Amino acid sequence: MAEGGDVEWELSKENIQPLKRGRDISALHQALSQQQDGLSSAINQQRQAFESELRMYDGDDPLDVWDRYIKWTEQTFPQGGKESNLATLLERAVTRFTEEKKYHNDPRYVDLWIKFAETCPEPLDIYRYMQAQEIGVTQASLYIAWSEEYENQGNCRKADLVYQEGFKRGAEPHDKLLQFHKALQARVSRQVMMHVEEEEDSDDEPKEPERVCLADLRHKGKKKAIAPVNRTGPAIRSISGGLQSRGAPVLGNASNSRLVIFDENKSWMAPPTSRAKENEQRPEKWCDVKAPPPPKPTFQPFVEESDQPPTMTPCKINPAVNTVLSARKPCREETPLKRLQEHHQQQKEAESGKPQEQSMYCKELLLSGATEFCFEELRAERYFKKMAQESQEARGQKDQASGSAAN
Amino acid sequence: MTGSNEYKLNQGPEDSISAVKFSPSTAQFLLVSSWDCTVRLYDVGGNTMRMKYQHTAPVLDCAFYDPTHSWSGGLDAQLKTHDLNTDQDTIVGTHDAPIRCVEYCPEVNVMVTGSWDRSVRLWDPRTPCNAGTFTQPEKVYTLSVAGDRLIVGTAGRRVLVWDLRNMGYVQQRRESSLKYQTRCIRAFPNKQGYVLSSIEGRVAVEYLDPSQEVQKKKYAFKCHRLKEDGIEHVYPVNAISFHSVHNTFATGGSDGFVNIWDPFNKKRLCQFHRYPTSIASLAFNNDGTMLAIAASYMHEKGDINHPEDAIFIRQVTDAETKPKST
Repeated sequence: MAEGGDVEWELSKENIQPLKRGRDISALHQALSQQQDGLSSAINQQRQAFESELRMYDGDDPLDVWDRYIKWTEQTFPQGGKESNLATLLERAVTRFTEEKKYHNDPRYVDLWIKFAETCPEPLDIYRYMQAQEIGVTQASLYIAWSEEYENQGNCRKADLVYQEGFKRGAEPHDKLLQFHKALQARVSRQVMMHVEEEEDSDDEPKEPERVCLADLRHKGKKKAIAPVNRTGPAIRSISGGLQSRGAPVLGNASNSRLVIFDENKSWMAPPTSRAKENEQRPEKWCDVKAPPPPKPTFQPFVEESDQPPTMTPCKINPAVNTVLSARKPCREETPLKRLQEHHQQQKEAESGKPQEQSMYCKELLLSGATEFCFEELRAERYFKKMAQESQEARGQKDQASGSAAN
Repeated sequence: MTGSNEYKLNQGPEDSISAVKFSPSTAQFLLVSSWDCTVRLYDVGGNTMRMKYQHTAPVLDCAFYDPTHSWSGGLDAQLKTHDLNTDQDTIVGTHDAPIRCVEYCPEVNVMVTGSWDRSVRLWDPRTPCNAGTFTQPEKVYTLSVAGDRLIVGTAGRRVLVWDLRNMGYVQQRRESSLKYQTRCIRAFPNKQGYVLSSIEGRVAVEYLDPSQEVQKKKYAFKCHRLKEDGIEHVYPVNAISFHSVHNTFATGGSDGFVNIWDPFNKKRLCQFHRYPTSIASLAFNNDGTMLAIAASYMHEKGDINHPEDAIFIRQVTDAETKPKST
């Protein structure tokens, strides 16, 4: 079984998004094998179960359901993508609890926020918003993620300032913050050193990042050579892309010893990687370069006299007809942050003044989670729950009855 | 509160009413499905219950195949047909999740069911057996038959139009033109289009013909909203039923009101008195002289105290249902 599974995972590596926490190998095998026959009904059922649990939960820790649901989604949809609904889920989850002060410094909640920020086009805005709302301000993980983001953008000074802020607020756990801060400093100083070296020995080398293959190991100072970094070029840090794991290996090398083995049980394994939402690239200007006009041919192209160019390219479907069916209105330019702020605003308004409109049904219940429910579904859930309870009770009574009869 | 042109049916269901449907041939019989796990047949003229049969779980929808056979499905995910002459049950088949809608298409002679398992299934009513399963992108919330076309409304505000003679592909994929969850879709008797109602007090009139001139005619309007103390209360619009002769339609909302609309002149023809609780289902009879009104709380505000569920039969006149030609 292990062999077959191994092959499966080897074959679809490129479809698996890296997770900070790592992946459960059995869940991964299962997810990959299920995907071959489309979105299976088993997944749909599980998702439905989570969705209904979100709505039916009446304990005192509703965040727990969201947390489990999101973790399940991450494991079940290894390639991310739209059908996982992860971005929507994260957004709904963080919005849901913005008013719950007791969660503001709950590591799970802060974790959700960080994951949410990483799916957003502008994570820094989200971190600033969190700070303004006092969410996660005593959690080391916020400052680490925030600083990582600055570092990814090449702003090491700000990255350092974020750690200072973290220390000032007394973020917990202190050790972790300290460790990551040291690692940052080590990386920065190494970069500076490499800069200096490079300037010394190469002037006309291309500035493009490239790997040095089969290169000698250079000695640095009196220490013995170590080999983890064999890339050159100052620009490596600033390139963003799918693979951004380079932050991690440097972490332990601050003291220049050996590979760091991470503790699985810690919730924070490595600095976060930033990841853009799929298919959500911002439109940007290409460049100002204009293509040169095509050279004129030196000969006269031959055109048959009787030839008449078609007046219109044949089109299978009349485009005019086609457009009406996509009734979706062009949606407003809207970032998740804007939506969050709007939500906050609305809530404030609702508290202070009278709302203009009131929906006469339990809107929150229908719309929480990634998919919507209708009244009948909610009621059906309640019905099934009641049935299960009753049958359990009946069984219990029967057991009692048979027990007493035996006595 | 009930006048001479309206009366309440005796021996009503013991729990919420999910659907009321008139017999296709006479105004005498009304089929009623309910959350009390039964389907009941009423003799409307005599105001008595003629028959009832049981499901193992609440029933969400029912439909007549012909005057002597009813079909029904619900939370037990089983599709049942019942012979109303011999009082005998047959289980025709099952879905993977509760069955939300049951409809009959006379043009193609096929029963159609929609379910929360994200599929529509067709059933041959003569054998009776399954005649195909068609996956939908989301949970099916409502469906309606317009001639040989099938209009399916799902979660996520999607609308799909299928050709029942050729189910190989979706004929049209649309998005609801309303912003909120789709509650009900009913096709015009003239098969030109459909009316779609949403959970937030709005109704859209849409046309099936994709050409631009026709599509220009589509529109939507607000309704089933009540202003109290300066706050606008917005109610779900749960039920739509078309008048088979005039192509006008009635809507019922959780505000307890029933309105009758003229879609051609974009006018409201009349509004009845307020019923004790939400309108869960509406049905005109075959010649459009009677309207069955199911006033039944749908748990839209949770499991709270609510007025008793009841079915009212109302005689309607042409003045109430005929478009005014000016």
